[in-house]
Amino acid sequence: MQVTEPFCVMDCSLVRCATGRVCSNLRELSEAICSVPDAVLEHHMMRCALEDHFELHEFPNDLARWCWTGLGDNVLGEQLGLIDPYRQPSTSALRAALVNVLEERLWGLAYVPWSRPGLELHLVQSRLIAYDTGERIVTPAALLEAVERMSPRSLFYHVHDARRRTAGQSDDFSRWLEQCGAEARLVTALRAIDFYFLNLSQLRQALVDAFGRYVAEAPPVARIAP
Amino acid sequence: MRLLDRYEEIVGHLEVERLRRLAERLAGKRIVHVNSTRSGGGVAEILGWMVPLLQELGINARWEVIAGPPDFYRVTKAFHNGLQGLPVSLRKRDFDLHYEVNRENAQRLNLEADIVFVHDPQPIYLPQFTPPGQVARWIWRCHIDASHPDRGIWKYLETAISRYAAAIFSMPAFARPLACPMFLILPSIDPLSDKNCAIPEAERLETLSRLGLDPERPLLLQVSRFDRFKDPLGVIEAYRLLQPYYSEMQLALAGGPADDDPEGAEVLREVLDRAGGDANLKVLMLPPDAHRTINALQRSATVVLQKSLKEGFGLTVTEALWKSKPVIGGACGGIALQVHDYHTGFLVHSPAGAAYRIHYLLRYADKRQRMGQTGHVFVREHFLLTRNLRDYLTMLLCLDHPEATAIVV
Repeated sequence: MQVTEPFCVMDCSLVRCATGRVCSNLRELSEAICSVPDAVLEHHMMRCALEDHFELHEFPNDLARWCWTGLGDNVLGEQLGLIDPYRQPSTSALRAALVNVLEERLWGLAYVPWSRPGLELHLVQSRLIAYDTGERIVTPAALLEAVERMSPRSLFYHVHDARRRTAGQSDDFSRWLEQCGAEARLVTALRAIDFYFLNLSQLRQALVDAFGRYVAEAPPVARIAP
Repeated sequence: MRLLDRYEEIVGHLEVERLRRLAERLAGKRIVHVNSTRSGGGVAEILGWMVPLLQELGINARWEVIAGPPDFYRVTKAFHNGLQGLPVSLRKRDFDLHYEVNRENAQRLNLEADIVFVHDPQPIYLPQFTPPGQVARWIWRCHIDASHPDRGIWKYLETAISRYAAAIFSMPAFARPLACPMFLILPSIDPLSDKNCAIPEAERLETLSRLGLDPERPLLLQVSRFDRFKDPLGVIEAYRLLQPYYSEMQLALAGGPADDDPEGAEVLREVLDRAGGDANLKVLMLPPDAHRTINALQRSATVVLQKSLKEGFGLTVTEALWKSKPVIGGACGGIALQVHDYHTGFLVHSPAGAAYRIHYLLRYADKRQRMGQTGHVFVREHFLLTRNLRDYLTMLLCLDHPEATAIVV
């Protein structure tokens, strides 16, 4: 049995900031993606999941969604929907991937698609505050129980934001379980969840399912460090 | 029972507990809100709930109100219109009056605080006249669409804004580029207010009876001022297109009196003219405080419309969604943030589009019900005042870390 620190449940909250940059057509979007600060890309490609609009939409990021609904360019919406920012090694690589898709699309179009007035894309960035909820978890079974009831924002912090913090390698849950000496299959199952294409409610269910397969029969593996 | 406990029943224990956790990091912070009226209007309504809730969260929050002669309010009304892009003509003495009233109020009000929120343009020059060190940070909260302001008004206000550490706008489309950070905080509704709280069934039925509406027949509803941008004539056109299919259908257009708005009075005349003698079409003139009547109407509607051609955020949409009603909205402004096709209603671009979607919703009761339920949950997650409060707390915490995009506190 290994000794480890208890799991510290965090929560987070996001506030958006206007950039003053607005896109009315595909060319403006392409030019903006080349030059906007990294924080703008991070918001529209990653943090937008925290706003949980995905539950109501088909696409996991704002850019794909806007191309589909605002520009009416379904092909581009589909292409951008497939770009997983967490599989990009850096924000500059993400930017390059986006620019490539946008320029390729522009290259092949006979005309530049425009949005209807009122449906322009207002580019924003965001600031994220993470804070300790005071809750501590000491066993994998207790972690499963906590995942079932923690806020969607906690899930975002421990999965999405954790991937950003660890350059795409791991979520906080599996990393803690690994340190606890939990079964490797559980750690692998959690890391295999395709979280980017799930909304936060679906992510919760995927985590619970993955836990459920291994926790029930697993012996206790952790105790609180002195 | 504490104030927040009442919201806990709606948004859940976890949400309220997390608000308390977040606020712990700001305990004892001295915050002052300044606006121009204690009652009446959206800002006073917001501060009416926000200040007590901040206090309950352990923040030393106060609310100060500026005072001025009647002429001052004429000038600030012109500022309001000018910020929203209407052409206004003000003379130098009008700007001087605004400046002087701000100077007097800076001396009269107790503004000693860590953060002072100045709401809208009326008190915007207060920082100019406050001794250095009295206020650590000034924040301008602009509740209006300032994206295309009158140039003269903006030039005057811009000078004042340069003293602010940050500005807050309701939506990115409302923001005007500024040198300071421009935070975005969406509006919200209070689920416990008269306009949004649960009401007894007897009261709902009594309201319908009083207004001459039949609770047994389908009811289409639009609640809004009689304003061309709200397109009440387009709503009537959509209703007329459907009359051959739904002869029992009723339409209610509920708005306030437009005596002080010449164009509003003209639009109202056109609406009444277009309505003619149709007994199923009610044009309802309601007093500004008829919140429970509007509540009853929204709860009685089969489908709610907000067929605007231009819109701010559209809180009437939020109110309708909260009451589990699908909404057919014009594809503009904040309506597009709230109405999602096949999920919470439909965005439309014409009277024919509105008629088509009404037809769909009247035809499929199960889809109507499901969209209504989705809308209610959507508002609970995104557009209640607890979210608004969380945004404010988050923004306050961010102010201490101006460069960071992710902060652990």
